[in-house]
Amino acid sequence: MLKKTVIVRPELCVGCMQCMIRCAEAHSQTKALASAIREDILAKPRIHIGVGPENKPFPNKCRHCEPAPCQEACMPAAIRSDVAEGLKIVDPARCIGCGMCAMACPYYVIRFYRDKDAPGHPSVAVKCDGCHDRVAAGDVPACVAACKTGALTFEDVNLYLKEGTNRLARAAYGVRS
Amino acid sequence: MRYVVVGLHAAGRSACAYLRRADPAAEIVGVDPAPMPIYARPLISYALAGEMTPEAMTVADDAFFQSLGVTLARERAVALDVGRGLVGLSSGREVAFDRLLLACGAGPRPAGVEGPLSHEICFFRGRTDLARVMDRVRPGGVAAVLGGGLVGFKLTMGLLARGMAVHLIVASPRPLALNVDEYVGRWVAKRLADAPGVTLRTSTSVCEVEAGATRPLRLCLNTGECLEVDLAAAGKGVIPRIQWLADSGLDLDQGVLADGCLRTADERIYAAGDVAQVPDMVHGDARINAVWPVAVEQGRVAALNMAGVRAAYPGTLAQNAIPVFGSRMISVGAVNPAFTAGTESVEADGPRGSYLKLVFRDDRIIGAVGLDAPPRLGELAFAIRRGLRRQDIPDWWLDNPKNAAPLAAPGGALTGNARLG
Repeated sequence: MLKKTVIVRPELCVGCMQCMIRCAEAHSQTKALASAIREDILAKPRIHIGVGPENKPFPNKCRHCEPAPCQEACMPAAIRSDVAEGLKIVDPARCIGCGMCAMACPYYVIRFYRDKDAPGHPSVAVKCDGCHDRVAAGDVPACVAACKTGALTFEDVNLYLKEGTNRLARAAYGVRS
Repeated sequence: MRYVVVGLHAAGRSACAYLRRADPAAEIVGVDPAPMPIYARPLISYALAGEMTPEAMTVADDAFFQSLGVTLARERAVALDVGRGLVGLSSGREVAFDRLLLACGAGPRPAGVEGPLSHEICFFRGRTDLARVMDRVRPGGVAAVLGGGLVGFKLTMGLLARGMAVHLIVASPRPLALNVDEYVGRWVAKRLADAPGVTLRTSTSVCEVEAGATRPLRLCLNTGECLEVDLAAAGKGVIPRIQWLADSGLDLDQGVLADGCLRTADERIYAAGDVAQVPDMVHGDARINAVWPVAVEQGRVAALNMAGVRAAYPGTLAQNAIPVFGSRMISVGAVNPAFTAGTESVEADGPRGSYLKLVFRDDRIIGAVGLDAPPRLGELAFAIRRGLRRQDIPDWWLDNPKNAAPLAAPGGALTGNARLG
């Protein structure tokens, strides 16, 4: 279980797509937007803004399920759980782009793009890696850093649930937070 | 507690990992005659096409099983004594079990062809079959593929990539008859017919194989024609390895019959993978869906139940994803017209040139098939498992499947299943 994870509050999302841009930037070779857009293999976002009822935006990313249907469906064992605790991460060097993982994912968060890290740069599965390298360096995931409305936050799950209990308690006693 | 796992491929490997997780102190014995490392069998088609090396097919080696504390017996299981709780091995040794998992898989179904050289027809099931096919590959030569299912189709694509001309001989009126609906089947047939190097022969079967005059094999067809080929390979489905269980007292049909917990007629014995015949989520009867994700999932569920952690299995569900001439074809559940008579279907709008069809029976979704569609059949498989009703799939989802928020998202039809992050 992840101690800290990206919490999504879709009701706060305004659909600005900054999370998508910063996600792609963080996964580019140069890690800077101005140069990333000129790279041979364009980095792609691993978070997507889906369209919900009445065109309401919905930020959609990998939930790193346990057990993960994508990992069970992956024939070459390219989806690993030993890279960072609680995260399911695609190894582009092993991925063969067969599409079984995307077929198994209940959340439609696995897409197929050419990847700079795959030998020969074929089209492979691309999905959220939890920005594990940024997090290991003490930073927050790129999508969270980009979100200005609080729709994406990086929090301890238990603290988040505790805060939910507090909100419920305040609502029950008629106190506005 | 001693767990014995017979077969260490997709289901057995997954079961070993979950048994160790559920019961850290247990003794686990893995029985499999296959030499290490364990590899993913479906990947042989990628190796045939030259898209990966045979070494890259490895998914578990000695170190993997060592790290799980699994004792390996590199022998074939040949007998099961349910009363005494013993598995007999090919060396004559017997292994006692408290809980047993049968994950011994399936072998290729015979091609049903007569003739003095019928033994020359290759199968396409494992790495020995791959080596046999590769030995007979002649760039610029002619091959015959028997069977128009997924294996036959992958064989055709692989042999084309190796520079051979291929006769694809299909007994049904169209290829992939059991796997996709009529629209996708016709699309595939047209692409095959137009592909340089492929001759598609539908409603045709091979009667006899004999020595050829100009090439090693001569195939006599039921149409009266004869073909001379360098290589003949068959993909006609699989037969579960249950012969050794004939006297065990377990309930056997096409495979080992198991219930919704993957438990067989004996409460200490479980079955998973290609050998397990379990209730099908869509069709209702007990079936074998011999595909990788089903085997891995069944291995997990069986292991947890063996270890006393109750894990329900909603039933097996057919699912496939294969690349077809640069397009991606995916299908899940019941899409075969033979099983979908009287059902309602809905085609969703998608990006230009794509196709996505949802099949409903009694107002509940039972299948979906897509061609170059947004890869969201996982979501639809999830919907099938939850018995999603037609009226709960909103129009905004059907109108825009490329960008619509997931059905499992908060506010979606499958809400309540959503995770936080």
